[in-house]
Amino acid sequence: MEQFKKVFIMVLTALLVLSGCSLPGLGGGADDPIRITSLDTSESQIMAHIVRLMIEHDSDGELNPTIINNLGASTLQHNAVLNGDANMSAIRYSGTEMTGPLGQEPINDPELAMQTAKEIFAEEFDQIYFDSYGFDNSYAFMVTKETAEEYDLETTSDLEEYNDELRFGVDTTWLNRPGDGYEGFTEHYGFSFGSISPMQIGLVYDALDTGSLEVALGYTSDGRIAAYDLVVLEDDKQFFPPYDAAPLATKELLDEYPELTDTMGKLDGIITTDVMQQLNYEADGQGKEPAIVAEEFLEANDYFENLESEDHS
Amino acid sequence: MTGNIITDFFNYYIVNGGYMFELFFNHLLMSVYGVIFASIVGIPVGILIARFSKLSGLVITLTNIIQTIPVIAMLAIMMLVMGLGSTTVVVTVFFYALLPIIKNTYTGISNVDSNIKDAGKSMGMTRNQVLTMVELPLALSVIIGGLRIALVVAIGVVAVGSFIGATTLSDVIIRGTNASDGTVFILAGAVPIAIIAVIVDIILRLIERRLDPTRRKKAPSETNHRVQTIN
Repeated sequence: MEQFKKVFIMVLTALLVLSGCSLPGLGGGADDPIRITSLDTSESQIMAHIVRLMIEHDSDGELNPTIINNLGASTLQHNAVLNGDANMSAIRYSGTEMTGPLGQEPINDPELAMQTAKEIFAEEFDQIYFDSYGFDNSYAFMVTKETAEEYDLETTSDLEEYNDELRFGVDTTWLNRPGDGYEGFTEHYGFSFGSISPMQIGLVYDALDTGSLEVALGYTSDGRIAAYDLVVLEDDKQFFPPYDAAPLATKELLDEYPELTDTMGKLDGIITTDVMQQLNYEADGQGKEPAIVAEEFLEANDYFENLESEDHS
Repeated sequence: MTGNIITDFFNYYIVNGGYMFELFFNHLLMSVYGVIFASIVGIPVGILIARFSKLSGLVITLTNIIQTIPVIAMLAIMMLVMGLGSTTVVVTVFFYALLPIIKNTYTGISNVDSNIKDAGKSMGMTRNQVLTMVELPLALSVIIGGLRIALVVAIGVVAVGSFIGATTLSDVIIRGTNASDGTVFILAGAVPIAIIAVIVDIILRLIERRLDPTRRKKAPSETNHRVQTIN
């Protein structure tokens, strides 16, 4: 019986010690200081790893953020930050935030949308919505380089002249969507398309490349734009709401680690849509893990160290 | 990506080697943690219900009920209580690992021949001595069998854990289902999961076989000695 008691006490202490710390090797416990949410897209995961590596680099390895991956929608990211599961988000798109978690009317002016979102996040939720990384992932019409040269296309309005001649491919959901859908588009731009093929949005890039379509509606930061050398037509009448990508953190976290503001400041406006297309292509087209893409990108740019010294000089 | 699935598949590991290993390790670690915690709780419970057999029906029914809950539902419920992340996955694994461990411990101990136990008792062993010197050694291979089943189940449970934000090999699979041509991603994530499960199964099966008292190899003198005692 004496021996049994000893074993029992040993097991009990072991359990207590174990429950005290997060599981070694795993991380991701509630006591990890920085927890970054990421969506299930490659783009979001690349940015999450960039933020993670930047923080690790700038704190000389003292801070090791955990990534909470694969959240299905921005509302989930919002809830995760609200209930304390996480305290940063790698990417929040201004347009999605406005209509989704914040429940506002969409605003078409990118700067105003960003500003409004920032104010609401700060006032209602005590969260800091940073400046954009410099890229956006909104809808835009795109054509191949050859088509652009042949018809002299630069802006979306240029399409009006050839609207019966060209074949258009669009996202199935976009056709019937109220607001920024097809109906809204025809009203805003004042012309409709002669031939429209609705399809899954992932297919339009290949359809352009193989010549089954001349014009397609796609996402501006998709990696295949760079890979297939497509030309994105400017939304000159500002019909599509802006989806500028920016990180978010809770005020609490930034008060605790003020140096994070500097780290995140280094990423401000540094990743243009072209750069993001390239990074996305490396992940989806060339089969690299987002973590690897992020690491290579930061190493090639020296973790934006030089940028900092320029600012100080 | 060349378009040839087999070359792309191997290229994926060459390009992403280090990170894939990290995912692989993380995946295995979460499964192992869950099973370790489950065995800390499950083996004593199994011993207990073997001793007080009135409890066995209740306990085994309870763990059986846990097993019928779909993994994704269980993860969602645990997420509501514990939040996102890998700790939640480990706790979920713990619940799924309980049944095989408790049931095998119970079966292993209650199947020990009562004649052998009586022999122990008649030699003046206390109840705990019978347990540690007779029952547990004879039941060990069955208990390890329970751990083996638990670990294989755990690897499958952890794979679903990606949906609540844990970093597992399924991250790669999910990325594959989102990409326009994701066959390579899906394979790159799924194959290692299968490999972990098979390797774990083989290793523990070997241990199980080695500990099986009916197969255990003995030195010749010892074997003779044993035969004599049984006769």
